Amino acid sequence: MLYALMGLGLSLITGVLNIPNFAHGALFAVGAYFLFSAIHAVGNFWLALVLAPVGVALLGLAIEYAGIRPLYAAGHDYQLLFTFGLSLILGEGIIVVWGPIGFSQLPPSILRGGLDLGFIFYPKYRLFVMVMAGLLVLSTWLFLEKTRYGAIMRAGIENKEMVSLLGIDIHRLFTAAFALGAYLAGIAGALTAPIRGLSPSMGVDMLGIAFVVVALGGLGNLLGAIAAGLIIGVAQAVVALYWTEASVAVIFAVMAAILLVRPQGLFGIR
Amino acid sequence: MSDLNRRDVLKLGAVGAAGAVAGLGFPAVVRAQAKEVVMLGIWPFTGAFSDVGPILDRGMKMALEERGMKILGKPIKYVTRDSATQAGASTRRVEEAVDGEGAKFVIGPWSSGVALAVSEVAKRKKVLHYFSGGTEDISGARCHRYSFQWAASPYTAAKTVVDTFMKANPKAKRWHLLVADYAFGWSVEKYIKEVGKTHGLEFVGADRHPLGEREFSNYVTKAAGNKPDVVAMINFGLDAVTAAREIFNFGLTPKLPLIMTWSSGVEELVQLTPEIRENIWVGSNFYYTADTPVAKEFVKSYQAKFGGPPGYAPSAAYGMTRMMLHGFDKAKSTEVPDVIKALEGIEVNDLVGRMRVDAKTHQTLRPFFFMRCKSKSAMKNPMDFADIIATGDTPLPAEYAACKDIGSF
Repeated sequence: MLYALMGLGLSLITGVLNIPNFAHGALFAVGAYFLFSAIHAVGNFWLALVLAPVGVALLGLAIEYAGIRPLYAAGHDYQLLFTFGLSLILGEGIIVVWGPIGFSQLPPSILRGGLDLGFIFYPKYRLFVMVMAGLLVLSTWLFLEKTRYGAIMRAGIENKEMVSLLGIDIHRLFTAAFALGAYLAGIAGALTAPIRGLSPSMGVDMLGIAFVVVALGGLGNLLGAIAAGLIIGVAQAVVALYWTEASVAVIFAVMAAILLVRPQGLFGIR
Repeated sequence: MSDLNRRDVLKLGAVGAAGAVAGLGFPAVVRAQAKEVVMLGIWPFTGAFSDVGPILDRGMKMALEERGMKILGKPIKYVTRDSATQAGASTRRVEEAVDGEGAKFVIGPWSSGVALAVSEVAKRKKVLHYFSGGTEDISGARCHRYSFQWAASPYTAAKTVVDTFMKANPKAKRWHLLVADYAFGWSVEKYIKEVGKTHGLEFVGADRHPLGEREFSNYVTKAAGNKPDVVAMINFGLDAVTAAREIFNFGLTPKLPLIMTWSSGVEELVQLTPEIRENIWVGSNFYYTADTPVAKEFVKSYQAKFGGPPGYAPSAAYGMTRMMLHGFDKAKSTEVPDVIKALEGIEVNDLVGRMRVDAKTHQTLRPFFFMRCKSKSAMKNPMDFADIIATGDTPLPAEYAACKDIGSF
């Protein structure tokens, strides 16, 4: 579900703005670190879980407004370079603010320990993340499918020029899409922190998987991103049972296999 | 020319000319007397392990600064290059430092895989190379006259860990291994299984994970399914930290003991909370409570300068530099072959205790530390992670030695 969440945010940004957001992994990491700091500031995990991704969304707003928007006229190459440079800046910024050594962040006490399911002892927090990520994906899907603004965003993915011609402020659309994508990356990072801990390089690890999900689902296809995230996660879990050494390689193997048959991705049209 | 006659002038002129010819005709001799000794630290300042690069640099600098940046009357020029944890970049940069800056003494890098590539450069360029890491090939199958290994042999590590743990937990016979899938992991796994035979251990599972793995849930559920008495990890850095976290999240620890067989000690343990560290047993090449005069002085200086105790990384850099300096002292020379010959068979009481360099393999024979992590209530301060419960220095038995001929210059 976390892969689906990351892929959904990246697919939204890629679809609406038509640029691959190389800073998406860094935003994931920033979400985790914001959670850590927020917990220390407010002393409450749940409040921190609300605040941290909002902080990342605000950061996304600022990035789009001050960084990407001025480059729309300059062309895609510049936007691409900008997001790549931004990923480095955010990564080094994490080191400057929080240091190069990682931390652990325990789940809230109510979610510590596990449930004995008979055949397995499963951490309560992981079950919570599964449900939470699922709800977030569903909420985002409903927003995009059932609300007017969601429809505008989907229309922006389909045909930006037509949306603009219909009198909709396309810049505001881009800003909102980037902020929403950043929010999804941030909350994915915040949810992941108690599972994987925090380290400056945690975003790099996730970025590769996010791009695989987007490519596999079809560039800009939101349903495809969700499906691809689930397929990748399941494939990894199944392969790890029988051939642990291949648990990372399987992600790319699945992508390659599907793209050979459907180069446009599972649901892609371009 | 009142007091000087023609003969005196001619004599003076001859002496002056001879001196000038000597200076011009033997430039190497004249330059060598004032020549600095260039030492290279090839450390990961970017890429994987980039968090460790600056602290490795610290350790090496501290050892050199203790000598006032001088050896045998000559100034030491300390240069660094970024290994980037990539063999291509590292080898290129080492060659550039050797050719361009005259570096003759190389310490590093941090990654075992990259170290093997740098070792080949050392052999080709005939420079002295010191490395500390888990690959046994440096003093094993790929040994040669120019490279030395500072870390304990993986056999020494495995023997110390298994023997000490079994002494404390004689009934823990069912072991599940979680192994990093590269040369270092395979070596230590092999020796743990060999030593385990002598204790009647049953290895109920052994999973290999790719380097850089971050999703350990599947490995942990497999481990739990095998119902082991203990889980032993043979991995390092973020892999080990992430896995330890997941093993705790899934409820295996603290009920089951978890062994971190080859750990960097402080650098890994600081990333875990006291709850996660409970019932973790740690093997390491250095721990900051080591009871030697050199370690105590080093830890005191390091803490005064940097605020916290040193882990394995800066200690290894410090230790390797000190060994090299011992080599200069014994050789009374800064020529590479002389220092190498001096290091072969050298015996010193240094950072980790009694240390001896095996002349046949260039492996340092020295203690390996085994610690048990403390519970939160037993910690005297936030950095009081563990107690050293044993050290071991059993060398690799001859039948396993892969270095058959250290070679010539």
